[in-house]
Amino acid sequence: MSQSAQTNSLVKRLFGGSGVGTTVLILLVFYVLLLVVFSFLSPFFMTVRNMTSISSNIALIGLMAAAGTPLIIAGGLDLSVAAVAGLTGVIIALLHAAGIPIWFAVLAAIAVAVVVGIVNGILATYLRLNPLIVTLATMSIVTGVSLILTGGLSKPLLVDGFNWVGQGRIAGIPVPALLMLTVYIGLWLMMQKTHFGRYAFAVGGNPDASRLIGLPVDRTQITLYVMSAVSGALAGTVLAAMLGAAAPNAAGPHLLTVIAAIILGGTSLQGGRGSVWGTLVAVLILGTLNNGLTLMNVTSFWQDVTRGVVLILAVGFDGLRQRMA
Amino acid sequence: MTALSPRLQMQNIKKSFGPVQVLNGVSMDVMPGEIVALLGSNGAGKSTLMKILTANYSKNAGDIRVNDQLVDFQTPRDASRVGIRFLPQEISVFPELTIAENICMSAESTGPVNWSDMASRAELVLDDLGFGQLDPQTLVNDLPVAERRIIEIARALEGQADILVMDEPTASLSEQESEQIFIILRRLKERGTSIVYISHYLKEVFEISDRIVVLRDGLNSGEFDPHKAEVSEVVSAMLGKVSGSMFEDRPPLPEQSDVVLSCSGLTQPGVIENVCFELRTGEIMGVFGLIGSGVEVLGRLIFGAEGRPEAGSLMLNGAAYTPISPLKGKQAGIGFVTAERKTDGIMADMSVRENLVAAFQADFGGKMLTSPARENEHTTDWIDRLGIKTAGPEQAIRFLSGGNQQKVCVARWLNPKVKVLILEEPTRGVDVGARKDIYRQLVAFAREGLAILVLSSDVEEIAGLSDRSMVIDRGRIIETFEAGAAPSDLMSASAQPS
Repeated sequence: MSQSAQTNSLVKRLFGGSGVGTTVLILLVFYVLLLVVFSFLSPFFMTVRNMTSISSNIALIGLMAAAGTPLIIAGGLDLSVAAVAGLTGVIIALLHAAGIPIWFAVLAAIAVAVVVGIVNGILATYLRLNPLIVTLATMSIVTGVSLILTGGLSKPLLVDGFNWVGQGRIAGIPVPALLMLTVYIGLWLMMQKTHFGRYAFAVGGNPDASRLIGLPVDRTQITLYVMSAVSGALAGTVLAAMLGAAAPNAAGPHLLTVIAAIILGGTSLQGGRGSVWGTLVAVLILGTLNNGLTLMNVTSFWQDVTRGVVLILAVGFDGLRQRMA
Repeated sequence: MTALSPRLQMQNIKKSFGPVQVLNGVSMDVMPGEIVALLGSNGAGKSTLMKILTANYSKNAGDIRVNDQLVDFQTPRDASRVGIRFLPQEISVFPELTIAENICMSAESTGPVNWSDMASRAELVLDDLGFGQLDPQTLVNDLPVAERRIIEIARALEGQADILVMDEPTASLSEQESEQIFIILRRLKERGTSIVYISHYLKEVFEISDRIVVLRDGLNSGEFDPHKAEVSEVVSAMLGKVSGSMFEDRPPLPEQSDVVLSCSGLTQPGVIENVCFELRTGEIMGVFGLIGSGVEVLGRLIFGAEGRPEAGSLMLNGAAYTPISPLKGKQAGIGFVTAERKTDGIMADMSVRENLVAAFQADFGGKMLTSPARENEHTTDWIDRLGIKTAGPEQAIRFLSGGNQQKVCVARWLNPKVKVLILEEPTRGVDVGARKDIYRQLVAFAREGLAILVLSSDVEEIAGLSDRSMVIDRGRIIETFEAGAAPSDLMSASAQPS
């Protein structure tokens, strides 16, 4: 019994939060099962080539879901993240075409994302508007702007060095996957080791109490909205580099997967609970599921159905956890 | 009246919540056309008894009879079908609907709305109450508070209420407005409606009621005829023998002490009116007030949780201080312990350690990084000093009892930077053992130099804990006791309408 208590505390220390560690463990087991099952079902599944292709796709979703996790823990929500990813590619492509050095173009695109994040944050905190509606609206605005700027067309974006961000490898591992891993480690450290991370948990867990204790409730949330937008911008940069083109609508369809991953990963929509590792494992599961179903010739239409079902199940489990607690 | 049989009889009602026995066999009855005042201090069981009558709670034992028929309600709707209506202290009207819609709102209505029928029914009831001048098509939002209360009564009558239970119906009304309600109550009495009237305002109770029933600690503790009884008799039935055991002898006040917080003319319209006082280091100042008196706002207003007050000047540690936000209040040296631990006190999922260090977290660790080791040391220290019962600093705070959670909420502010500690209802929902601990510790912290302001609706708490005390009613300080005050002093002071 003492040994199980010990493992439990180790799990807690690694993953943080009460009960979150268990969720991550269960998800990991499920992920391994999924790998085993698909290996048996399809001879193409467990190949270096397939795994590499999954990993780039996963990195894209993983990056978008990364800072969304602390944001939901702190009681916010960002639906505009995929739209911001699309706009980022568009801005980089247009500025580059106008003769601006590519890395300055990237910085400018990130700056635009910061502005979107600040707008989301201010509307959702100081003006007390519902974050679901606010970010749904900014999603629509940002998507519209991308389409206006490009006339709805893809813009080619082929620049040596830049495309390496999406297509290159270090020690055989795709750069997007490494970038994603770095971001997750950074966010994990932020949530577990810094004052700011603690504020995020407190603010999401009980905003009224946090305010009465004199914690910077609004500032914490606004900062996280900005971080979420920036993580969308990183995803957009990777996507444009991967495709060698900026497609205004390329990231949009991934939004549902992003939100599903955060919830499936054990982050509570009520705020106050969750972990970035849970999100990461959930992204792996959803990405693998997607790929496995494709390999088994299930049409993308059915994959939409699957994604919806997984989302409902994830939210259902979240509700169940709330009631058990 | 003796020829009639009671409209309502409640006999030997018992109720417990878990191990806590709230009602220990309470009985009361009401005749047709009688106004019975139900009195008792906080926790006496009045609300529980009325919630059992209206089937919001189930009873553990006892009988309820309406018109000599034994009844056993399962839902509030069952109670309303036999004519029992409860009007809670907070006025429950639908502000965006018209008077007519409010009055005719009923769970029993089905089918399409008949507007003209509705208007005429509303008019009839209003006429009956002597308020025929109100236009049924007016939005309730446009009415003053007193008239909203009248709409609520009219709704109960439209629903054929024979037994009306009213909880503090005049709490937010001026004396003039209260008079309007009394006129209606007398009319209802003539019609034969039975009324249970819960109020803390003894003068009102003596004026309006036919009989006074007093509860204490879940038992009947007296029944009085308002035309013969003395106010003091009723007060002592409410309070009983004062149990001094909760409060120990305390060290004397320091000979010399500085004013640390002074407050003059503090005003927030409609809630707090022209409050002035001085708080000194080393003392506990108590503010007693009934729910709705402003006692639940004053502390928050000073701390900054209510935003900038409309008027008033405050001095804190010799410098001008304006409450703006809790963050500014904290920086100025004020700590605040809320009455509502669950809703705005604790972060339930976080550990005892994280909750305890939350207010001054930046003092532990570096500029950016937390230092769990130092936090742990600090938390372990306070767990020992306050006797907090927990499996350890890493235990999630939601697993602690109310009393131990409260100790964590107090310990959170015990930092040298905090000069003034404000506590709202410091022992609400706290078990007896922990309560005694908290009282003792508060006295000790005060004598070590902290200035403590306690706001409470528990009269014995204020009387036992404070060095000086004030009584607040309708937002005004109506009496100040420079030395210790007995519970009956405080209660009598608050029972006099201003």
